[in-house]
Amino acid sequence: MTLQALLVVGAALFGIGVYGALSQQTFVMIMMGLELMLNGAMLAAVAFWAMSSGGAPKGQLLTVIIMTVMAVEAAIGFALIIGIYRIRKADMTEKLKRLRA
Amino acid sequence: MRWSSPLGAVVLVAGVLSAGAYVVAVLDVALGRLTAAGHLRLRHALRQPLDETALLLLTRPSRTERPDAQAWALAPALLGAMAAAAVATVPLGRGIAVADVADGIVLFGAAMAMVMVAVYLHGWSANSPMPLLGGYRFIALALSYEMPLALVLIAAALPAESLSVGAIVASQHDLWNVVRQPLGLPLYLIAGAGLAFWGPLDTADGPDLAGGTTAEVSGPSRVAWELARRFVLVAVAVMGAAVFLGGWQGPMLPGPAWMALKTLVLLAGLVWMAHRVARVRLERFVVVAWTVLIPLALVDVFVSGAIAL
Amino acid sequence: MIRSGTVDIAFWMFSAGSVVAAWLVFRTDSMVRAAYWLLASFAGVGALMVLLNARFLGLVLVLMMAGEMTIMAVFMVMFMMNPAGLNPMTMVHQHRTAKIAGVFAFAGLALVGLVADFPDRPADARRDPTSDLGRELLGDSMLVFETAGVTLLATMIGAIAIASKRGRYGDAEQGSAPPALEEKPPEPAGMEH
Repeated sequence: MTLQALLVVGAALFGIGVYGALSQQTFVMIMMGLELMLNGAMLAAVAFWAMSSGGAPKGQLLTVIIMTVMAVEAAIGFALIIGIYRIRKADMTEKLKRLRA
Repeated sequence: MRWSSPLGAVVLVAGVLSAGAYVVAVLDVALGRLTAAGHLRLRHALRQPLDETALLLLTRPSRTERPDAQAWALAPALLGAMAAAAVATVPLGRGIAVADVADGIVLFGAAMAMVMVAVYLHGWSANSPMPLLGGYRFIALALSYEMPLALVLIAAALPAESLSVGAIVASQHDLWNVVRQPLGLPLYLIAGAGLAFWGPLDTADGPDLAGGTTAEVSGPSRVAWELARRFVLVAVAVMGAAVFLGGWQGPMLPGPAWMALKTLVLLAGLVWMAHRVARVRLERFVVVAWTVLIPLALVDVFVSGAIAL
Repeated sequence: MIRSGTVDIAFWMFSAGSVVAAWLVFRTDSMVRAAYWLLASFAGVGALMVLLNARFLGLVLVLMMAGEMTIMAVFMVMFMMNPAGLNPMTMVHQHRTAKIAGVFAFAGLALVGLVADFPDRPADARRDPTSDLGRELLGDSMLVFETAGVTLLATMIGAIAIASKRGRYGDAEQGSAPPALEEKPPEPAGMEH
């Protein structure tokens, strides 16, 4: 287990996340892509903390912040999905040609 | 035998879980008869669970139209594995622990959070309405009991100043947590009944839903599911005995005997509750959980924290 | 650098599992499976974090994601109206662009990871990282931690405000564009409730 190997795994997760977020049409699937990107970033943060920073506690703090971002993204994402579904009956990006209400 | 070796771990965890599951089944028959008829027949209670299991094993497995077969098979295994992981963190005597890791309570919490995944998968993969409803019911239940469960466990970890279950047991040398934190154990047992969808909170698999997530399951996979569910109940009782009743500490008897005794008391309490308390409607439980149980658990944390300071 | 046979095997298992599970999220025809493959990917990363000695964070990640992915599965079933979720559901757009972007993101980041010269300073294995994290959160970085907490509180309030059906001034739909798919029939007079 080396830092390089961990970073490549993190990059792979991030890349799959980018693919998912760009290619999917359903809102929930797009959110899954975003979460995967954060997943890769989190792995890289922990890898740097464990192998390159001498175990500085701030490295773990960064991971906590990424987890917070995930929670915020999920909560606001689900709320927006419900809101859009109420108003437009839309569950896919293609049904939202206009952003104005 | 070293309990942290692979063989020792399997022997210890499998032994505790299967003995516990049998005890639960016997208690269930015995206490059910005691509450219904006013007397009990011990030999009948000892044999009935084995007879029923044998009958179920001979039953033909039922099939539904286009189930998600892999997920359906995975669900009981996942549930049982999570119970095993939870039990592995608990020391059953002085130095008798499979993995008394530094973050044992968090590991227990993570394993118990996965219970929600197992139950929802079990309900969903049958591709049938009643099991799916059971799965949805369990999600509502789980989202309600999870916060009180996590909070009372955090409160119990405060006096120990550690997240390791062994340290929490050691911190109760002078005073058990059940006395030090009187709110802890009742809240934990309510949440624990929810975790194993047991007793008054058995709405996910309840008879009012034709068996809920088990409505379409029969034969060996039904046995596996019922066993796994009892494993979760045993894991709840073992953890409760360690975290609130002083674990393996006690006068005269050896540690494992005390642990077995305390676990038995908690299991008997949970099974007794299932036979004495009427099934709670889910929406009522959700309201009570968010407006009463969570504030009480917060009070528990604050008071325990103030005392620990 | 952490060297040990068992740790290496575990590392390859969990990282391969995590990446394969992540790929299967977008390759399965079942909504619930997609959500739970993502959970598997997170669990793999959680296990890698435990291997790296960030035990608390790894376990908390699994704890958090078990709930979140179940909710995600429920949302998928709720909005896609496909109760068993076993029908084909490949719904993609700009597939080529997305693939190229994904490959470029991976290649670029992996290249940086492989080429750049990062300092080799492993964490002290004797220190308890959980206790370190606790002291950091309630010590020097308390402001950061509290900001995260307040952000979460604001998020909760905002999410409820966005998602609630009835606001202070009537239904959430009122005042917005008519629904895209179906028009409500006008209510007959005298039937107000």
